[in-house]
Amino acid sequence: MSSQCCSQPSVMSREEVREIVALFERHINRGQVRYLRAGHLDVMESQRQGVHFTDPISGRRLIDCFSSAGSFNVSRHNPLIMKALEEALEKYDLGAFNRISEAKIALAEKLIALAPDGLRRIRYAAGGGDAVDCAIKLARGATGKKKILATVKAYHGHTGFALSANGKEHYRHYCEPLMPGFEFVPFNDLNAMSERADSDTAAVIIEPVQGEAGIFVGTDEYLKGLRRICDERGIMLIFDEIQTGFGRTGRLFACQHSGVTPDIMTIAKSIGGGIFPNAAVLYRDSETLVNFVESNPDFHVTYGGGSDLGCRVSLTVLEYIEENRLWENAEKMGARLRGALEELREANPKIIKEIRGVGLMVGIEYIHEFMGPMMSDALARHGVFAAYSGNAPQVMRFMAPITINDAEMDALIEAVRGAVKDMKTLLPLALPAAKIPGVLKMLNNERFQTTLFGALRKFEDGAKALGRPFGRK
Amino acid sequence: MNTNKKSSQEILDAWAALFSRAGLENMKLEGRAIIEAGREGVHVTDAEGRGYIDGDSAAGIFNLGRRNTLLVEELKCAMRETDQGNFPMISVEKARLAQALSEFVGGELDCSIYSVMRGETLEFACKVARGFTGRSELVTVDGAYYGETGFAMSLSADPQNDKYGPLIPDVRLIPFGDIEAARESITTKSAAVILEPIQAENHCRCAADAYLIELRKICHEKGVLLVFDETQSGLGRCGEKFSYLRSGIEPDMLIMGEALGGGIFPIAATIITQRVNEFLNIHPMIHLSTFGGSDIGCRVAKKALDIYKELEPWHNARRIGLKLRNGIEAVIAAHPQTILSIAGEGLLMSLEFDGVEAAQAFCRRASANGLLLSRGRIRRETVMLRPPLILTDADAGEILRIIGESLA
Repeated sequence: MSSQCCSQPSVMSREEVREIVALFERHINRGQVRYLRAGHLDVMESQRQGVHFTDPISGRRLIDCFSSAGSFNVSRHNPLIMKALEEALEKYDLGAFNRISEAKIALAEKLIALAPDGLRRIRYAAGGGDAVDCAIKLARGATGKKKILATVKAYHGHTGFALSANGKEHYRHYCEPLMPGFEFVPFNDLNAMSERADSDTAAVIIEPVQGEAGIFVGTDEYLKGLRRICDERGIMLIFDEIQTGFGRTGRLFACQHSGVTPDIMTIAKSIGGGIFPNAAVLYRDSETLVNFVESNPDFHVTYGGGSDLGCRVSLTVLEYIEENRLWENAEKMGARLRGALEELREANPKIIKEIRGVGLMVGIEYIHEFMGPMMSDALARHGVFAAYSGNAPQVMRFMAPITINDAEMDALIEAVRGAVKDMKTLLPLALPAAKIPGVLKMLNNERFQTTLFGALRKFEDGAKALGRPFGRK
Repeated sequence: MNTNKKSSQEILDAWAALFSRAGLENMKLEGRAIIEAGREGVHVTDAEGRGYIDGDSAAGIFNLGRRNTLLVEELKCAMRETDQGNFPMISVEKARLAQALSEFVGGELDCSIYSVMRGETLEFACKVARGFTGRSELVTVDGAYYGETGFAMSLSADPQNDKYGPLIPDVRLIPFGDIEAARESITTKSAAVILEPIQAENHCRCAADAYLIELRKICHEKGVLLVFDETQSGLGRCGEKFSYLRSGIEPDMLIMGEALGGGIFPIAATIITQRVNEFLNIHPMIHLSTFGGSDIGCRVAKKALDIYKELEPWHNARRIGLKLRNGIEAVIAAHPQTILSIAGEGLLMSLEFDGVEAAQAFCRRASANGLLLSRGRIRRETVMLRPPLILTDADAGEILRIIGESLA
């Protein structure tokens, strides 16, 4: 570490942490702290390295299974990615969004070389939402049609078009009315899509694996069927590979499992290597799309995306993934994790309902919603940071960096086993209570959870301060 | 790494094939089809070694100059010590930047939400306004430009908007600067009134202080939130820290653009009052941004704010801006048929030409003479002049010389 850097402490005192939390509560959001605290997600991250970070208070190393919703595929603080940024900084800055640069071209060529066959044109964006907005504008603009078919529980982001295609009430409710023309059909239901896809439909947009919804894998049959419907009816097929891309599912892009190439594909998150924002929209060089873009070359300008620094970082991310064939590791480690979780499910049917996923995009669905926050808490004690889905708290995502090795996977599996064991000791209390009318509903209520688990955390912190350990560790 | 170095022509050809041939042609028409090799301060060098003054600053991002060395060093340090971070989590970097922003902006604007770029900041403002007030109507003024994402675009005056199907409903457009129309149109059904105090892309149309004061009063009476987008006018460009400060009133939400990251890291922010933030305290996590609020980005932005505080570049922007303006007005007086008018404040300026082609031709000649420019997004016959705020007298002299030489 260079001496001029004002190094961040790897260990922080409770007072220092309290000060930061107070600043965060005052100048960012108090509700967010309350929400995070309830699920034991209010740790700070120091010493971010590989698949780990350290809780600066306890000094405990945690395996990061959230990865900022799939942004850390190449691991945290990957030295090669950092070196790329450091080298780029000798020469570049963000560059100009309205001019051409060598860095933009180099990344574009690499992305197109590795993307599903047929995607030969590109636009940059600054993040997932920006990319989805660009994709939907492209589809609506090129087809001259307005209807967009998205899926129930879909998650595409928080900007205007993306949010309009978001199938989650939680994110939409306070922002409505959103854009007309967006309709939602159940995911993995080809008939439902076929019934709604009509001559006024501009695009069908799906995540090949629904992430935020709780890890639902689109079947090959589904993806192929969508391709067929869209081809027959002149509809643009958009795949949102923002979470699934860059090796996460065992292929570089999830749609490569099925061999289906969309008309438009959005990518973001891991493209930034965990250090520098970037995103892109790849599209086919079909007449409809190309004609539209050539008539409207400025149809979607991005200010923060496709920066020269970002493109150098993203290029190195792609080279790193390719050279190490990281998708193969994702497939191998994902199979190990899913196998172990499946065994746990068989042994604990009262806790775990289902294991879903592909590659290292893995979800556990617990029987009850209140179990999500409880498991987050138990896992943290065992050295794993895993977040339950904000508005489907019975589902927990496991999306560790796909560089994870065998020993780290052993530790992860061991931690999940330990956490489930802890849960079992608490359940004799919670489950009978859940049978009392109203109690389950209360336990599953997000606000109630926030209050209850928040209170438990305070009690626990109090107990710690008195030197009496709470729980197993 | 790519070892096969491409020639400039190969890069341009690749751009045409992968991005857009028409886009490349437009760039050529405006003299923007250059490949930036070196960047330093207010200068850019192309792949052939030709030097330029960056008169565009990527639409007002490079306020602190190209490749600001202090920010380059800060980014290097930040990436060694931290990374992007898990976006929903509490971090030292997010907290410290929010504290610094609150201090920097002052007044009641106390809380920050981060974004990665302009547009996203406005999406957030519109959504929170609807949530906070429980009303859906978004009032904005004509001639605006807020960005390219859904809400931003729905409120912007781009004539191309109708190509993208029905946009965000319940947007009400009122004429810019018309106090009577504002009184009639802003009602207890309105969630927010959103405007840029200086409409940069619309020939730098400036709102009068009296107009802003009146809007503040109406919004207060009707329980409507007032949102100022200072993406381009803020952080010193207009000759003040923020242009609204001149009017003595304060918005409920203030939008800052990517100038916050000093051209080294993409980050933007929406600064809101504690009162508005109460809504998010009750409903946290309804607006998320993976890249907004990156811990590295927060470090860079915090450093940039330190630089802004120390340098107070708004003084220089005002002084040099005036000098440039006087110089350009002298040019206009000497060549009245070329530049029809000049508008703007500080180093946010716009030159009006007789039609799009005249504006393009001017950009092209200026580029050939060593000054990079681009046109306004709303008034397409205008050319924006928005160089880094660290411009020296000598640079300003050079800009004036090039402008003079570039008139047909």
